[in-house]
Amino acid sequence: MAGIGHPFLYVWSTAQMTNQVSPVEEQEKLLEEALNIVKVQAFQMKRCLDKSKLMDALKHASTMLGELRTSLLSPKSYYELYMAITDELRHLELYLLEEFQKGRKVADLYELVQYAGNIVPRLYLLITVGLVYIKTNTNLRRDLLKDLVEMCRGVQHPLRGLFLRNYLLQCTRNVLPDTHEAPNENEGTVRDAVDFVLMNFAEMNKLWVRMQHQGHSRDKERRERERSELRILVGTNLVRLSQLESVTVEDYRRMVLPGILEQVVSCRDAIAQEYLMECIIQVFPDEFHLANLQPFLKSCAELQPGVNIKNIIIALIERLASYSQRNEGNMNLSVVLEDGQEQEVQLFEVFSDQVAAITQSRVDMPQEDMLSLQLALLKLAQRCHPDKLNYVDRVLAHTDKICTDIHQSSGQSTLEHHTPVFKELMKIIKLPCDHYKNILVLIKLSNYAPLIRHLSYQGRVMIAVHLINDVLETNTAISTPQDVEAVLGLLDVLVKDQPDQPPSESDVEDFVEEQGLLARLIHHFKSDSADQQYLITSTARKILQGGGARRIQHTFPPLVFHAYRLAFVYKDLKDQDEMWEKKCQKIFQFCHQTITMLVKAELAELPLRLYLQGALAISEIGFANHETIAYEFLSQAFSLYEDEISDSKAQLAAITLIIATFEQINCFGAENAEPMRTQCALAASKLLKKPDQSRAVALCSHLFWKGTRDGRPVWALNDASRALDCLKKAARVAQQCMDGGVQAQLLAELLGRYALLRERGNQSLTPSLIDAIIQKIREELANLDQSEEVEQITKHFHNTLQHLKNRIESPDPESLGYEGLTLS
Amino acid sequence: MSFFGFGQTADIEIVFDDADKRKVAEVKTDDGKKEKLLLYYDGETVSGKVNVTLRKPGSKLEHQGIKVELIGQIELFYDRGNHHEFISLVKELARPGDLLQHTSYPFEFANVEKPYEVYTGSNVRLRYFLRATIVRRLTDITKEVDIAVHTLCSYPDVLNSIKMEVGIEDCLHIEFEYNKSKYHLKDVIVGKIYFLLVRIKIKHMEISIIKRETTGSGPNTFTENETVAKYEIMDGAPVRGESIPIRVFLAGYDLTPTMRDINNKFSVRYYLNLVLMDTEDRRYFKQQEVILWRKSDKSRLPLHPHHPQTVSYQGHQSLRKQSVSSDDNSARATPSNPDPENVMQRSVSPSMPEKQNGPLQMEREKPEAFIDKLAGAHINENDTNDTSDEIEEPKPVEKLPVVDKPLIAEKPQIAEKPTLNRPEPAGSPNQ
Repeated sequence: MAGIGHPFLYVWSTAQMTNQVSPVEEQEKLLEEALNIVKVQAFQMKRCLDKSKLMDALKHASTMLGELRTSLLSPKSYYELYMAITDELRHLELYLLEEFQKGRKVADLYELVQYAGNIVPRLYLLITVGLVYIKTNTNLRRDLLKDLVEMCRGVQHPLRGLFLRNYLLQCTRNVLPDTHEAPNENEGTVRDAVDFVLMNFAEMNKLWVRMQHQGHSRDKERRERERSELRILVGTNLVRLSQLESVTVEDYRRMVLPGILEQVVSCRDAIAQEYLMECIIQVFPDEFHLANLQPFLKSCAELQPGVNIKNIIIALIERLASYSQRNEGNMNLSVVLEDGQEQEVQLFEVFSDQVAAITQSRVDMPQEDMLSLQLALLKLAQRCHPDKLNYVDRVLAHTDKICTDIHQSSGQSTLEHHTPVFKELMKIIKLPCDHYKNILVLIKLSNYAPLIRHLSYQGRVMIAVHLINDVLETNTAISTPQDVEAVLGLLDVLVKDQPDQPPSESDVEDFVEEQGLLARLIHHFKSDSADQQYLITSTARKILQGGGARRIQHTFPPLVFHAYRLAFVYKDLKDQDEMWEKKCQKIFQFCHQTITMLVKAELAELPLRLYLQGALAISEIGFANHETIAYEFLSQAFSLYEDEISDSKAQLAAITLIIATFEQINCFGAENAEPMRTQCALAASKLLKKPDQSRAVALCSHLFWKGTRDGRPVWALNDASRALDCLKKAARVAQQCMDGGVQAQLLAELLGRYALLRERGNQSLTPSLIDAIIQKIREELANLDQSEEVEQITKHFHNTLQHLKNRIESPDPESLGYEGLTLS
Repeated sequence: MSFFGFGQTADIEIVFDDADKRKVAEVKTDDGKKEKLLLYYDGETVSGKVNVTLRKPGSKLEHQGIKVELIGQIELFYDRGNHHEFISLVKELARPGDLLQHTSYPFEFANVEKPYEVYTGSNVRLRYFLRATIVRRLTDITKEVDIAVHTLCSYPDVLNSIKMEVGIEDCLHIEFEYNKSKYHLKDVIVGKIYFLLVRIKIKHMEISIIKRETTGSGPNTFTENETVAKYEIMDGAPVRGESIPIRVFLAGYDLTPTMRDINNKFSVRYYLNLVLMDTEDRRYFKQQEVILWRKSDKSRLPLHPHHPQTVSYQGHQSLRKQSVSSDDNSARATPSNPDPENVMQRSVSPSMPEKQNGPLQMEREKPEAFIDKLAGAHINENDTNDTSDEIEEPKPVEKLPVVDKPLIAEKPQIAEKPTLNRPEPAGSPNQ
């Protein structure tokens, strides 16, 4: 014995025990030195193994392992060293395994390696040899595992202990008993495996936590970084537990989880708790979590104040939510209660209760975290219980309460932009929106709209824009008055002035854009039922009219067009709906009111156009009494022109529109038509600028002569001479213009109008008159200097001439020709 | 006559009966080498033959008689001239006369009482040998052959464990347990250290086996301490509540049975020394004598690794419970009944026992004094004997290539001041 017995005694390596950690640049050097020693010793070890000198090989192995006694290396370098050394230990293990399997068992090897004087090398060797024993004789398994995990207690230095136990865990990963019934009790059962890993886990965790409390407080940051580098070592224990296949849900509930949770809770270290709880969530199967939600969540409530519980619970929720989704909701959610009874439980209910309990018990929890938890719950409700909208609403109600509390504590009535709580609330609000992609679902959530009100003005606008864009994208139709009311309720911020709204000048462009969106939304307020549509439109107006002049100019036009369109619908329905005429009247009454509101809001051009559009629609639909109403519309437009429009360009444009509208309307009798066209002609001749006058008066000719295009009957009120008068007057005014170019242009335009009206059958416009104009133009053009403008006019003129020429050569039988006109 | 190269002379050879079957034992000789000797036990008969071979066959050898002696003697190295024979048996093999040819004389010492075990220590040697002598007028022809003797012992299986709580007030309280107080030479020490209070930064903990050899008596007493084994059992700093397993296999070390007062000449005792070292290299230790005994090989059970000899789980639990139940450590620290056993020794104080002023004090070395003690022996009685600056050579491992490196040579820079408030050495209760 004495001869071979103690190759390890007094083998002290040069590595010293100290708490000093060298600066970074030292690390590489130290590591390199250590690795060199490892290389040399490993080489010697392997050579001895080749020569079957086991004792010498063990001595070299021990010397090599002595390098792991160092205190000089950072966790990172130590890890590298550890990897290099354990790599080499594999050779020893393989050699021994081979020898043992050949029956060449070395007597008392397990005892022999324990003579190593230093504990770190000794335990590495013990584990290596123990593994060989277990692999070659499973009868030793249970006791050896117990012994190894117990003996490792001797290393209390956190870093060295963690790596040693990691080695133990790595070595034993394939030999842990994983069966419920062992053929031989010495082989052990899965229970022994669980005990083994749990014990190793508890010890590793203690060591890991202990790292936090060593050394100076100024190194806290570095320590925490180092700890996080090492956490995987601790987590591997849990991975190993999860890899035991014969652990059933029941085993997990009885043996595994309580053991882990006890350690996690009792270690009272925030970093460890946070990491390990997340580890549990990640490594164990969903079924296990489902069956043990309550104990797990209960433990969550007991964690240290610094633990970010939110992340843990969110991770769990997301995990289970996706599990539920994968199983399309076919989850067995029965849970065994403490009294042993099984109970069918809704996943959401469990979480909802526990989250409420946790939020209540942890007064220190940041408010944004509370919101994040609600967000997670919301996701859960949406993903796992798609049919239960009330769950979603419950979360929203809860969120609402939290927000109210936040307001109370902050003293403000809304959440400030860009604060964490604001961001979380934004996410909560956006989530259902993006999830359902249907605003009609959102309005069923009674707590959704109140929640939006907790946001600041900007936030509310963002949400509103988001909601509207969604409706536009999905092309959702909002088809009942109630829905319209609710939707506009959600969009309150855009519908009317807000108390916290910033001064309007600040963001005109944005504002216009937002109102434009709102206007686009209004187009989606539509129902297949005409009556319903009317109700929708009037409801919308009722709400929107509160928005003030700045808004209604954007929001009313679509409403008015809705109404016009609706009138056409009724026209189509006139065979089915006896009341259609009355309804149409009502609609135009509604439109009239609506436009009047715009007028009252001191708008001019917009209501003018809407009136004109209305008049057109009325004339086309032709219900009872339509002439009066059309006249009313038209006259309203005209009075707007007279009273409100003062800019000359706008005047020209407005009068042009009025004339054009009148030209399109056929419903007027002489009684209504006469004042109208007289007024128009008068208005046209009163325009300020001569060219404007000339053009407007020329247009007036259309008031007195309408063609018979498109199957229109000959208009009873055609008055050929007055039309001619208009043109003549226009020519006269044109000639009053000082600028020859303008004169030429006006005349050229006039020529076109002569030709047009003649082709529409006005015989008063004789070819000779036309010829006179032509001559006049030529005269004018001849006097002009060449310029781009003149060239254009000339072109215009020649085009008209060309047209005339064509008509002379191939006359249109339906209309008047140009007999007698000669174009030279 | 032989002086002058003429005259008859002879060679003596002692041949033991059943020498080929008898077990042998390794025994250290004077010069530290090991020799394999035939092994006898107490009460065994020593028999054999003395063969006398004449160098010059044909001529006769005159002699005054031929005898064989069995001698057990104790040699004290400082007193080389005086050997104390505690056994001296003589057998006359031949009366005075002439020897004409090779002759073989059988002898037998029947049922010899061999009370002591052979031993070679640093100051003393106990040996048994046979001496055959051809008595002649001028020079006797002699031949000596050593034999080995082992004394066997047996103790009942029910053995008391050693269990003790020791500490330094408000600094360190530990409870340790060795499973037995008497170990046979191939035994395993199994135990546990339970930390009740830790306010010092412990770096590591080891158990050493110290052999204390005392020779002489009265003013001429010499004590030699030797660290036979040094065994690290813990690396790093434990916290309150940790329990650290101890398992030391004795078979690998060079140990002898405990010898008490061998023929009034010497004794050899063994101590387990539990040493804790803090980050500033102060050592805290507690010595505890254990009795070593030799067990008959036949009854010795093989040590199988699958019988891990840790303290049973139940035992551990009770230990733990006990400590946990008294949450108040200070209460434990000051029991009403002072027990000198519970004081840990401190090597710098020469008269330790008188100085204890607290029952549970574990003493610690002065930082400046530990240097002397690092090498191994930390026994205060020995201070005067130990050359203080010398590093004690690890005698039992002389065959090993790697020498116990002196720890002091590698003494690390102390990097950081301990954050814990520690009492100054001067303020320790011993000063």
